[in-house]
Amino acid sequence: MEQLINDLKLQIKEALNLEELSLEEFDENAPLFGEEGIGLDSIDVLEIIVLLEKNYGIRLANPKDGRAIFQSVKTIAEYVQANRKK
Amino acid sequence: MSISISGYGIICAIGNDAKAVLKSLKEGRTGIASMRYLQSSHKELPVGEVKLSDEEMKRMLGQDEKAVISRTVLMGAIAIRQALEHANLDLKGKRVAIINGTTVGGMDITERYFKQMKENDALLPLIEKHDCGSSTHEMAELAGLPNAEVCTVSTACSSAVNAIILGSEMLKNNEVDIVIAGGTEALSLFHLNGFNALMILDKAQCRPFDKTRAGLNLGEGAAFVVLQKEDSLTNEHTPIAFIRGYANRCDAFHQTASSENGEGAYLAMSEALQMAGLKPQDIHYINAHGTGTPNNDASESAAIRRVFGENIPPVSSTKGFTGHTTSASGSIETVICILALLNNFVPSNYGWKEQDEGCITPFDNSKFINSKFKTSPLESILCNSFGFGGNDSALIISKSPLPAPSFGECLRQETCVLAEAIINNVEQLGELREFVSAGEARRMSKLMKAATISSLKALKEAGVETPDAIITATAFGMLETSEKFLLDMLENGEETLSPTLFMQSTHNTLSSAIAIRTKCHGYNMTYSQGKDSLDWALRDARRLIETGKAKTVLVGYHDEATPLFQEFCRRMGKPLPQEIYSRSVVLRKT
Repeated sequence: MEQLINDLKLQIKEALNLEELSLEEFDENAPLFGEEGIGLDSIDVLEIIVLLEKNYGIRLANPKDGRAIFQSVKTIAEYVQANRKK
Repeated sequence: MSISISGYGIICAIGNDAKAVLKSLKEGRTGIASMRYLQSSHKELPVGEVKLSDEEMKRMLGQDEKAVISRTVLMGAIAIRQALEHANLDLKGKRVAIINGTTVGGMDITERYFKQMKENDALLPLIEKHDCGSSTHEMAELAGLPNAEVCTVSTACSSAVNAIILGSEMLKNNEVDIVIAGGTEALSLFHLNGFNALMILDKAQCRPFDKTRAGLNLGEGAAFVVLQKEDSLTNEHTPIAFIRGYANRCDAFHQTASSENGEGAYLAMSEALQMAGLKPQDIHYINAHGTGTPNNDASESAAIRRVFGENIPPVSSTKGFTGHTTSASGSIETVICILALLNNFVPSNYGWKEQDEGCITPFDNSKFINSKFKTSPLESILCNSFGFGGNDSALIISKSPLPAPSFGECLRQETCVLAEAIINNVEQLGELREFVSAGEARRMSKLMKAATISSLKALKEAGVETPDAIITATAFGMLETSEKFLLDMLENGEETLSPTLFMQSTHNTLSSAIAIRTKCHGYNMTYSQGKDSLDWALRDARRLIETGKAKTVLVGYHDEATPLFQEFCRRMGKPLPQEIYSRSVVLRKT
């Protein structure tokens, strides 16, 4: 799980160009959306959907489903572990 | 004074000419079907294709079947020829301009040959058919007007209506005698996959304004209208209809989404009504932008309710018939509005079944027979056309011209340059952080960064926070993001492509991003006419200022070159384009 969380952090950082966010600062429990946390938006949801399909073979048909799964890196990791195809 | 329409031409999924289009609309036959001509792996996506192969269109235009001609150019030339034939004007000695709206341009050719171009010098010159401006030039030649002045407007999905608006302004300002304005856009793998990455394509028939709507279906086509000044008409030419009012405004909200209350759309509709000298109740039909995405239809409904209150005239989106023909949709729907006006006929909102509380109730043609609208002929129609980045425009087409003159009486204003800033070196891009946060900068491509810096620097120097209008000139547009998206698609297939790259690939990305940053809801325009782009932009800015429509205008010329594009130029023996060039000027009346 720890490895997966780390992989996801790196993949998200790269896909979303979060250059100024260091891996140490990137808390897996921090909310990804909204001003309280990392501050991602609806376009980032789409990028994470692409990333999950590319790296784990997971297809999300509706971006609305993404919002619930993508609360934090931790929740994404749990979802990936349960649903990954590769 | 109004602008008269003296001819029109149209080709789209529901017909190869106006007669066929009207027939399909009346019979309620959609043109959206399984993919036949576009060679995509996304066979699950229905599209509104023009039911002709490239070869058939080349034959119609008397061209060699083997000639490499973009589908965008072919459809556009067919529509222009129809419009000219319909208008039947003597063009001898007249100043003629073709104003074309397109964003895809020659992308279909680039997609087909890009991989080979990288190795094969013989195919390399085909890259010169890629940019929008060259498409318009080629289209003018194929349409038999090699000497016409040509201009390309590229404001994504509102391009064609903005082309009609520009043409009308040029006529009013006496810069030209006859304008052929409209738009053309062929389906391409590039934008099909881009819209797919943004997850706004419906795998079923689209249903604008329906509760269950789940996105749009892409379509393709072209339509052009022939415009003249009302007082330039000779006796033997009676106008078909009039362009009575229009407005170009910006939502200044988000790169791809529309604001909840539809501010840009509201402003465009309200100001078009004001220019037309009409009240909301004078509008007898609204041809909505109505794409079928949850966001657009809710936002547009909110805006329509703000303008029309409880008394909303019949509204329909015709995209259930034609598909969303993107840059061409504005003129395709303008021609549909003209057909509606001439035939006192309101097209249905094909695909709609279930009421959505957040949306207007679209017009149901089957109930038309018994409705009060049957006996009252249509007088004026509002046509909405919105684009990515909140480039929102509205057009009012009427059977009667505006009674009182509304133009040409204001005092001519002089224009002066208030401030200027240039970025021509990538090292200068570090200055970005003076203006935007790291979070905001993370998605910006090189050109976006340069344009942001030069614009904000110039505005700061001028002491202007929000300009009245923003005009952008770009010969090639967002090359870096487009190239990345294209290469990923050609090398790795049509899956898992980046929505962020596509979102930043349209030419109007720069103008709209700067509008969002400066909260500018005013006139917002993007020109992509090769080396003439800046001239067109400056000409537009001066026209706005001289005629009192704007006091301060931000004009930017922004272009970039990727290493691959520079290599192409080197191999063709052409001068090397600069890696980055961004020049912003703030103009003001003296």
